[in-house]
Amino acid sequence: MDHTSDQAESLEKAHLRWMQEAMLMAEEALAASEVPVGCVFVRDNRIIAKSRNRTNELRNATRHAELEAIDRILSDKDLTPIIVDYPLSDTILYVTVEPCMMCASALRQMGIQEVFFGCENDKFGGCGTVLGVNDKLEHPKHPSYKATGGYCRDEAIMILRRFYVTENTNAPVPKAKANRILKTEILPKLRDIV
Amino acid sequence: MIVADGDLPFTRLKLSLDEEEEEISAIRTMQSWVVDIPDPRHITTMLKCLKRSGLESPSLAHLKRIRKQGNISSLLISTSPNPPCLPSDLSLPSPYQLPVPCTAALTPTSLQLKCTLWPTVYTPRRKWEPETWSKGTVRWAGRAITHVMLEASKARAGGELPIVAHVPSPYREEDQFPMSFTAHDTRTSTRHPLRHAILNIIRSVADYRASEPSLDSSSSQSTTFNTLINSESDDSDVPRNGARYLLTGLTLFTTHEPCVMCSMALLHSRVKEVFYVVPMQQTGGCGGLACLPSLKGVNHRFGIARWNGTVGGAESLDVLEIDPTIDA
Repeated sequence: MDHTSDQAESLEKAHLRWMQEAMLMAEEALAASEVPVGCVFVRDNRIIAKSRNRTNELRNATRHAELEAIDRILSDKDLTPIIVDYPLSDTILYVTVEPCMMCASALRQMGIQEVFFGCENDKFGGCGTVLGVNDKLEHPKHPSYKATGGYCRDEAIMILRRFYVTENTNAPVPKAKANRILKTEILPKLRDIV
Repeated sequence: MIVADGDLPFTRLKLSLDEEEEEISAIRTMQSWVVDIPDPRHITTMLKCLKRSGLESPSLAHLKRIRKQGNISSLLISTSPNPPCLPSDLSLPSPYQLPVPCTAALTPTSLQLKCTLWPTVYTPRRKWEPETWSKGTVRWAGRAITHVMLEASKARAGGELPIVAHVPSPYREEDQFPMSFTAHDTRTSTRHPLRHAILNIIRSVADYRASEPSLDSSSSQSTTFNTLINSESDDSDVPRNGARYLLTGLTLFTTHEPCVMCSMALLHSRVKEVFYVVPMQQTGGCGGLACLPSLKGVNHRFGIARWNGTVGGAESLDVLEIDPTIDA
């Protein structure tokens, strides 16, 4: 194995290690009856913030893991000592599900360096699945950023399924899900087959 | 008294999904794989097979699976660019591609046209279809616009961006939501680039909702809140439903077209309608840079309208002037 592929392999391992940390946050969300999405923000090779969905607890559909963590980073004087245009320009996000269009736009406004995610978000995905808010939309000011999916994808899908076989009583008109069973077969990315 | 569309002080944005498809050339189509099934006994087998391979995707939910023409039944398989693999033991003919409608039919004419391509589902009623407005509704909306203009001018005087959002009690349905909320942009004072007026107002409404009693609460206080919020029921065993979920059924008035982040936040919050005064061509998510509620796949639609009636004197619009590259 040559030197460059060696390097690439250790980089992939590092991505997976951070994504495992994000998965732990998703597990925490599941335990709290929240849609299980978790994330970590990494700067200088260390986690500076980790967070998870709190939409049900706060009755606020915008309190996604990413926005929770951003608020913590900005309110921490050590992490954000001075006001700059792009406070996350040296920070990488690992999140278990593709950021939605709201978070993808928020991340662009904050100047995020790069994003890695687990599975695609078919309904709201803002990093290519529904709309490329990260790099396809031509924003007059904010630079685009790269977003790559597929890290711990199966785990990310399975934990969402574990959540959705139970009832989300906070959503409008809860649907009875008594007949739902947990499927374990994972298909390749939807757009590859359909 | 219903006010005619042309006399309304605002223009509704036509969502691309509302585009009329009343002529065969206007029908948007996509290529789809189809296989003829000469032996009717194989239809059930094939349907099961589709289910197993996870091809029952929502992207084809507006179409019927089987088409019968004379003696031949045909099965719709997928919109994949690659030909599907069929079970070899049924000795079916080769699958082929056909253009099929992208969306369900909204009118009888469109249904008839679409069915010439492939049997299509008819969905005449659109949940986000705008309702008719009375003079009273127009006055109610006018007051809301005057209010955001006034608040914008205050925000500007206080050193903030003059961007304001306002959710009034719904017209003639005050009992559904007896409160009204107003929030302005605070990104300057809080030194937080995401403290936009819309996110701020969503947070206020959510905090108010969270102060409502939880379902299992049996304290006496809960009854007071329930009678205040939901007059038709003070029974706290009734499951919380759509009527009390975030911004469901509520109209939001804002000075500037919301950015992509805020437009998606409004979609997540299930707002009913959004009215804005200043379009943001370069950054807006309600028709400017993108139009989020008209995207395929999103699970909620909201109406969008640009206010072009009077806003209280020509000079007052100057108050709203901001850098066009800002995300409002």
